[in-house]
Amino acid sequence: MSTIGSTMRAELVGAGGVVERNYYLTKRYIWWDLAWFIWTVANTLTIVFIAKGIEAQGGQLDVNRVATSLLIGAVVWAYLGVLFEFLMETVAWERWEGTIEYTFMAPLSRSMHLAGMGGFSVLYGLLRAVFLFTVCIWFFDLSVPDAEFLAALVVLAIASISFLGIGMMTSVLPLISPEKGTQLGWIAQGTLLVVSGVYYPVEVLPTWMQWLAKISPATYALEAARAAILDGQGLSTMWDEIWPLLVIGVVSIPLGLWIFSRGERYAKKHGKLKRSG
Amino acid sequence: MDGAVHVHELRKVFDVPEREPGLLAATKSLVRRKTREVRAVDGVSFDIEPGEIVGFLGPNGAGKTTTLKMLSGLLHPTDGDARVLGHVPAKRERDFLRRITLVMGNRNQLQWDLPALDSYELHRAVYRIPRESFVETRDELIELLDVGDLVRKPVRQLSLGERMKVEIVGSLLHRPAVLFLDEPTIGLDVTMQKRIRAFVAEYNRRHGATVLLTSHYMADVEALCRRVVVIHHGSILYDGQLAGLADRFAAYKTIAVALENGFVELERYGEVIHRDGDLVTLRVPKAETARVTARLLAEQEVLDLNVEDPPIEDVIELVFAQERAV
Repeated sequence: MSTIGSTMRAELVGAGGVVERNYYLTKRYIWWDLAWFIWTVANTLTIVFIAKGIEAQGGQLDVNRVATSLLIGAVVWAYLGVLFEFLMETVAWERWEGTIEYTFMAPLSRSMHLAGMGGFSVLYGLLRAVFLFTVCIWFFDLSVPDAEFLAALVVLAIASISFLGIGMMTSVLPLISPEKGTQLGWIAQGTLLVVSGVYYPVEVLPTWMQWLAKISPATYALEAARAAILDGQGLSTMWDEIWPLLVIGVVSIPLGLWIFSRGERYAKKHGKLKRSG
Repeated sequence: MDGAVHVHELRKVFDVPEREPGLLAATKSLVRRKTREVRAVDGVSFDIEPGEIVGFLGPNGAGKTTTLKMLSGLLHPTDGDARVLGHVPAKRERDFLRRITLVMGNRNQLQWDLPALDSYELHRAVYRIPRESFVETRDELIELLDVGDLVRKPVRQLSLGERMKVEIVGSLLHRPAVLFLDEPTIGLDVTMQKRIRAFVAEYNRRHGATVLLTSHYMADVEALCRRVVVIHHGSILYDGQLAGLADRFAAYKTIAVALENGFVELERYGEVIHRDGDLVTLRVPKAETARVTARLLAEQEVLDLNVEDPPIEDVIELVFAQERAV
């Protein structure tokens, strides 16, 4: 028992090392991250302005509610996108840095390596999402008097697990194809964006896309976050959104790890664990 | 009983796509892709005892790096048996990974934008090195390689040689028992090469580490290795003492002679390959060395005479010219 405990402790220390490394890298590239954040703010403002734009063109709508709904979509997607991209670029980043051989030789289990990447992406993504939401709420002077922010955060945390699992699955793509793998990952992210009701209700999608929406964790995360912030609903009323997130999370993490391990085995068989080509 | 490194009939075969040049061929290859088999490593076998430093030589594309990658678990063999410290590298057991290191001269494990010290901390966490032991080893390595001033600078600000030194420190923080060094002195100036050679020798002496070294610089091999394994086209051509290479493959010796009067015809003794005033170097068939030496001493006014094996670079060139193992 103590051996298992010390092994787990050591693995967590290793995962913590990965988190620390990402912190150092972010610190070094902070000005680039700031530029990216400003772009994200601008992009989010553009989306939220749609509500005001419809009103200005004669549309009848609750501007505050629609604007807040769009903002929630943009912020949640920005957050989940960070998780997805961090995991997806795990291998690509190692290739760029020229450290891929050493990383794959290190005595750190792949699950802890990816968990470290996921852990940092959650912290970084959450910080970014909070800033983004705050800036935009202030900019548009939006009113959310009934908001249950804690419930929204809990739902986001549960959704994070699913997105990390999906991210792990796509992180294998740059391993298999150094040249085109990352681009394929963007396809997966783009598909989820379309079907998940980020900026519109899922009901407006064609039927076949609504079926895809049922397996996207973002669909449930968005529904629950909107219910919490717009209508003040608590966790106890969100079971219809939470249980699919739990199921997808429980399935996607081990599936993601399994897919990654198969990809790693393929890469080692075909000599693809190198800086280029 | 297996040594530190045991390799038996190791093979690595790649399927490499190939096509004819031209647009039509490129378009056809989208639908019908032709591949050919490349035997990067073809039935290699050797054993290395603990504490040995072995040179692993071969021309570009011979299979050296492929072999090292199979021994460190980065590549899965197609066939054969490889064990390092009793472990199968492809299984990636933690115990194995913590006891080996692979240093590649043209690769880096340290984060480009971070001071080496920061990367060493991550290394400590990943390799689970106790703090006290880590500090002791780190400081010992920093002192041995004289990089105290360099480890606080971002790696990107270091020269190639400085970077190589801090990389080596990072690779040895966990005190590996087996070192795979893949051209560790590539691109370095002469002084830095000497420094790294001296370091490897000292590390081996202090810690009894087993070293498998590849290098295109014969000075590295001559300074560090008593035994060499020569590989070409994926097969081993020679595995034995460095001194035995010349005996096995060089068909000649060189006689360096200093004469009282250097301006004499010496072609009847052998091929004159160098003449500098009274100093002449002759190349003679190995079997003729004793007879030619006796004749020179009897017939010429010899001030000094040295019989030498040809330079190791020339011998290696001869070895590489072999198609198959002798």
